[in-house]
Amino acid sequence: MKAKKSTPYVFLLPLIVAFGLFLVYPLAKVVMDSFYKFSFLNPSHKIWVGWFNYKWLFTFKLYSPTYSYFIGALLKTVIWVGGSVGLKIFLGLGGALLLNSEFLKGKKFYRTLLIIPWSIPWAMSAMIWYWTLNGQFGLINSLMIHLHITSEPFAFLGYPTSAFISTFVVDAWIGLPFMVIMLLSGLQTIPKHLYEAATIDGAGDLVKFAKITLPMIKPVLLTVSLLSMVWTFNSFAPIWILTRGGPVTATTTLPIAIYNTSFRYLTFGGVGKASAMTIFQVLLVSSLSLIYIKTLRGGES
Amino acid sequence: MKKVWLITALVLAIAIVGVATQTLTVLMPIGGGYTIESQEVLAKGFEQTHPGVKVNMEFVGWANLWNKIITSFGANNAPDVMYIASRWIPALASMGALTPLENYITVQKEHMYYPSVWSSLIYDGHYWGVPRAMSTKVFIYNKKLFKENGITKVPTNWDELLADAKKIYNPKKGIYGILMAGKKFVSTVTQFEQYLCANGGEIVDPKTGKVEIDSPQAIKALEFYKELSKYAQPGITNWTREDLIKLFEAGKGGMYIDHVHNALKAMKAGIDVGFFPIPGGPDSNAPYSTVVVVDCISMSSQTKNKELAWEFMNYMSTLKEQTRWDTLQGFVPPMIKEAEEPEFQKWYWKPYIQALKYGHPQAAGIKDWVSTANAILNAIQSVLLNQSTPQEALKKAAQTIAILQK
Repeated sequence: MKAKKSTPYVFLLPLIVAFGLFLVYPLAKVVMDSFYKFSFLNPSHKIWVGWFNYKWLFTFKLYSPTYSYFIGALLKTVIWVGGSVGLKIFLGLGGALLLNSEFLKGKKFYRTLLIIPWSIPWAMSAMIWYWTLNGQFGLINSLMIHLHITSEPFAFLGYPTSAFISTFVVDAWIGLPFMVIMLLSGLQTIPKHLYEAATIDGAGDLVKFAKITLPMIKPVLLTVSLLSMVWTFNSFAPIWILTRGGPVTATTTLPIAIYNTSFRYLTFGGVGKASAMTIFQVLLVSSLSLIYIKTLRGGES
Repeated sequence: MKKVWLITALVLAIAIVGVATQTLTVLMPIGGGYTIESQEVLAKGFEQTHPGVKVNMEFVGWANLWNKIITSFGANNAPDVMYIASRWIPALASMGALTPLENYITVQKEHMYYPSVWSSLIYDGHYWGVPRAMSTKVFIYNKKLFKENGITKVPTNWDELLADAKKIYNPKKGIYGILMAGKKFVSTVTQFEQYLCANGGEIVDPKTGKVEIDSPQAIKALEFYKELSKYAQPGITNWTREDLIKLFEAGKGGMYIDHVHNALKAMKAGIDVGFFPIPGGPDSNAPYSTVVVVDCISMSSQTKNKELAWEFMNYMSTLKEQTRWDTLQGFVPPMIKEAEEPEFQKWYWKPYIQALKYGHPQAAGIKDWVSTANAILNAIQSVLLNQSTPQEALKKAAQTIAILQK
């Protein structure tokens, strides 16, 4: 029996509807909203402002004399995402290599342990870390004092630099299991005979890692680091719970700035400005992703 | 005859269905002592006295209450009645989100409350809420730590306050002279406001709307906040007032400013607790001071059933219900008759009720509280972190608030 020409489209219909409802429509609405001035409190009262909201992104300098609120948040986001994703890749690869090694006993136990940060809701993980990093009752301070690393407790979340580092370390901790599991699955697909042949040729561990392991897991590495970058760019809960974007604006990344602009700063902000910020973030993340894919694919050829 | 019965039955059925479909949505916060059980009794009680009415109570964590209100208005799905902080009234009212209540609040009802309570609920000449919770704050102190450090009387001015904090401060033992808040959170602004008002300062002049946060009194208050913080727990920029009780209960703090319910909590944990009012600063004529925070219940402008919404608000604000709520939560009574209840005659209530005499409204004249609070928080944090001087930080905050007040 020959299938009708329209049959594939019938099967595709649910996907197209879902795609339109959950992606195209919201995105188009955000684009539209970015050209208006209005508040959630009075959504029917919309004023067309054209490109003003986009200009505002670069001119609103109330909180810093150097950068606009948006640019300040953007720069922080780039460093924050770099720190978090870098840490996830570095520790993720290390963890995956360890779990893939032959000498490690009890791998199943470690794999189960690894899932814990991922299985706990993000908000809960952030709350746990809020108290773990606490200057008075925190476990880390307690350990540091008992091991005589410091004589007095240190409030990790109380100072700009330490708060900035602490928030992306917590974010990396939450995202690490995904990275390890995915990279481990990549490592397990590498045929053993490649390593055996390299050993016969006299290659050391480092050479084997650089010439066999890395090239073989490159597709997985590319995918997970890209996904991780996109997710980390949108990371909100850990920062909000740990520092609320402070001290001052030390941890005000783009998602925090967008949230403040749309929900909190009714006079300075508004839905239109927050939408403009969102569109800019979408374009930026998409461009970065494209550049990243092209660069890595180029290297491959 | 059969026809008559049929029509009667039909009319009755329509009437029953019509009455039964009256639904009221009420938004309430949870967290701290605000539990679902302690608030759902209101819905059940109202349903019993109003057959055919269904009260849908929605609950949201305190920290998300503002966002929930904003998003529900955005979705055209605002609750009929909602619990709000009175500091949000100007923003909500000026956006047309609330129903003015002067046509509903009777003279008799108005006179049930202390007149000063209403000052937080009036904006632009209209009444926007009915009081639900009121609080004043005083210093709670650890008598044992005071005694151990040779302090025989409680401080009555800022010099004595600083000197006592210094005496108690012993970081090697993990004991701090004073516990302070500095995290980006609304209660940090209120904690600073305690010193600001105690020194005769204010954020804006409620009569003219002029920004006063960079006045000499305010600068002195922030200088003092910074000076005091030297004898507080380290890293105060990550401590909220709500978390300080954990340090106080553990015997780690000499004194701090908080509610009566946390003082009771510390007593239960075995701390010998004493109270003293917040002393006036060097630039103030008043001997003591406290910031009065009022939360209220308001009616949404989107409600389709204003009469029923008001009936519920009226039901929530009877003397009996207000007394039940305040004794349960440990709030200062906003009603004159309520203050005569035996519970409020107890020794630990007296400092809080007496403080009312020196009360300052938390947000009088402030048009956009959330943005104003953020500007002040940035100033407080940048001073605590040595990024700017109190003068520079408050000047910057004043410039921001001036735009918000336009």
